[in-house]
Amino acid sequence: MRHSLRVNMSDLSVVREELPAKWARYGGRALTSAIVFTEVPPQADPLGPENVLVVAPGLLGGTNTPNGGRLSIGAKSPLTGGIKESNSGGQAANALGRLGIAAVIFTGKPVDPHAYYMLTIEADGSAVLSRVDEWAGAGNYEVADAVKAMRPEGDRYSTITNGPAGEAGLKASGIAVSDMKGYPNRFAGRGGLGAVMGSKGLKAIVVSDKGVATPAHADKEAFSAAVKTFSAALREHPVSGQGLPTYGTNVLTNILNEAGGLPTRNFSEGSFEGAEATSGERQREITLERGGDVSHGCHTGCVIKCSRYWNDKDGNYVTKGPEYETIWAFGADCGVDDLDDIAELDRICGDMGLDTIEMGATIGVYMDSGAIPFGDGKAAIATLNSIFDGSEPGKVLGDGAEATGLAFNVARIPVVKHQALPAYDPRSVQGMGVTYATSTMGADHTAGYTVATNILKVGGDVDPLKPEGQVELSRNLQIATAMLDAFGLCIFVAFPILDIPEAFTAIHEMAQAHTGDTWDVDALLQLGKETLAYEKLFNDAAGMGAKDDRLPEFFKTDALPPHKVVFEVSDADLDSVYDFVPEVAKTLGIS
Amino acid sequence: MIVDVALFASLSGFHTHEGQGHTRQYDLASGTTIADVISLLGLPDQPRIVFVGGIHAEETSELHAGERLAIFPPVAGG
Repeated sequence: MRHSLRVNMSDLSVVREELPAKWARYGGRALTSAIVFTEVPPQADPLGPENVLVVAPGLLGGTNTPNGGRLSIGAKSPLTGGIKESNSGGQAANALGRLGIAAVIFTGKPVDPHAYYMLTIEADGSAVLSRVDEWAGAGNYEVADAVKAMRPEGDRYSTITNGPAGEAGLKASGIAVSDMKGYPNRFAGRGGLGAVMGSKGLKAIVVSDKGVATPAHADKEAFSAAVKTFSAALREHPVSGQGLPTYGTNVLTNILNEAGGLPTRNFSEGSFEGAEATSGERQREITLERGGDVSHGCHTGCVIKCSRYWNDKDGNYVTKGPEYETIWAFGADCGVDDLDDIAELDRICGDMGLDTIEMGATIGVYMDSGAIPFGDGKAAIATLNSIFDGSEPGKVLGDGAEATGLAFNVARIPVVKHQALPAYDPRSVQGMGVTYATSTMGADHTAGYTVATNILKVGGDVDPLKPEGQVELSRNLQIATAMLDAFGLCIFVAFPILDIPEAFTAIHEMAQAHTGDTWDVDALLQLGKETLAYEKLFNDAAGMGAKDDRLPEFFKTDALPPHKVVFEVSDADLDSVYDFVPEVAKTLGIS
Repeated sequence: MIVDVALFASLSGFHTHEGQGHTRQYDLASGTTIADVISLLGLPDQPRIVFVGGIHAEETSELHAGERLAIFPPVAGG
């Protein structure tokens, strides 16, 4: 049986609890959102003792499910003011899953505001809080090294750590998760959850799973068969089997640029003259020239292996990837075409604990104010560093694109629910506009990745430049994504499952064989809907309404080059995306 | 007629002549279709994503002087 750990940061107790039976089919995002909905008063101060921080592997976490090792971290977001599930790769979900831990729930707040704690969960299941005050102000890499020095020789462990940005309560702060080599370079970046972790005085979580076997399956033979089918589909599909392993996520730069959907210079254009220099193809060439790694998994069980390491000109590790979203954010969106500058910006964010999407968008907005020029990578680096040296404009920038835009009188502020838009312009990828506007998470590309069908022609073909069909596409993908997040599956499995029916079937076959419960396609979709219902109701109770499910006005008035398009999906259509929620809420008995 | 042809990712090496970056100019006969170009270049028989002037295009479409044709293998990320 899976269980939870409840860690009370007010009285420093750690209690093992059984998972409530009503949530036996929940994992990952379904569980974090159900817990936040149930335990956090919607009007709570996100940095106060009433908020919780929930860390949860997916329902299949810890098993050999291919690409089943994603981690969900949930709380009320200090950035959006709504519910948040921030999703990360890395090794921690696999470790927690092996230990049978469905969720670690942090509540309360330390009496001493200067106290810093580490929660260590050992392979025997014991868990203790210890003081690590000396780590105050340390970056994620320094903390990773300090943890390594404390662990016994030959240990197998993973870390979840918080950088100075989270300690400072910055709304753009995220939480770092270690990869298979121990680098703290995977990130639950979005929504300011580093600030929630910081508010609880939590600097690190260490999970050891040395010698711990994978969890037992109800039907081992059936599970293995479904895993085989799923794995074969991931390897067979050209996107997950060839494109992603070869070029990584940044294979997208050229195609979004070609489609006129690569937001450039703070969403003022849809194509970037520096796309080729910052493309996945070029990134691969440079990475190989410098002896970097161009294909590995970020967690045990990954068969796609889209991760990579970026080295400096002397061949020294700098950071992971960088990933497409980061290269876009500090690249095209800031007009910067130098991959070394972008990698340095990524490293600073990774070490200090900042969301690269939010910070790229933030610097893009800051550049739009005229304070520093578009295209100046060195000025971008200095600006990012200013957040931590106490100088202007850093005091504002760490709270994100909206705070920066308001402080510096910028007209174009690309946010929804106070969270910055990612790397697809919603005028030339209109389905993404629906997802950005309506997602319970604020502007979030992963919440319903219509780029697949709009641009990449996976799972059908919906014209990206027209409003027709976008609401249904986004709704279906938002439901499916919530389901994948509940299982702890990497979003990139969506490409094969959209095209290969056996891959989709394999998910409920794995779930059924592992848990012994009955699962089918309808149950998968119901899980996604229930997750979204908890989230939508929480946001409604927190004061969000239809006015918050809108893109900024400039997307509807400023035609985007080169296609000269505006966002055309109507408000009424946006308001229909979550029309399934009342019925689902009724079945759950929540309101 | 002169047409710009851009090939990306695993298709990058299929141009008939050397050049910088992903794009080359081709002198094509009037009436040449996208499928004709794919055949001329010897692109592998697999799904493709094709744009003309940044708009998705069918492979049966004819090309016109001054247009830009871009061809990608199946790719995705995020």
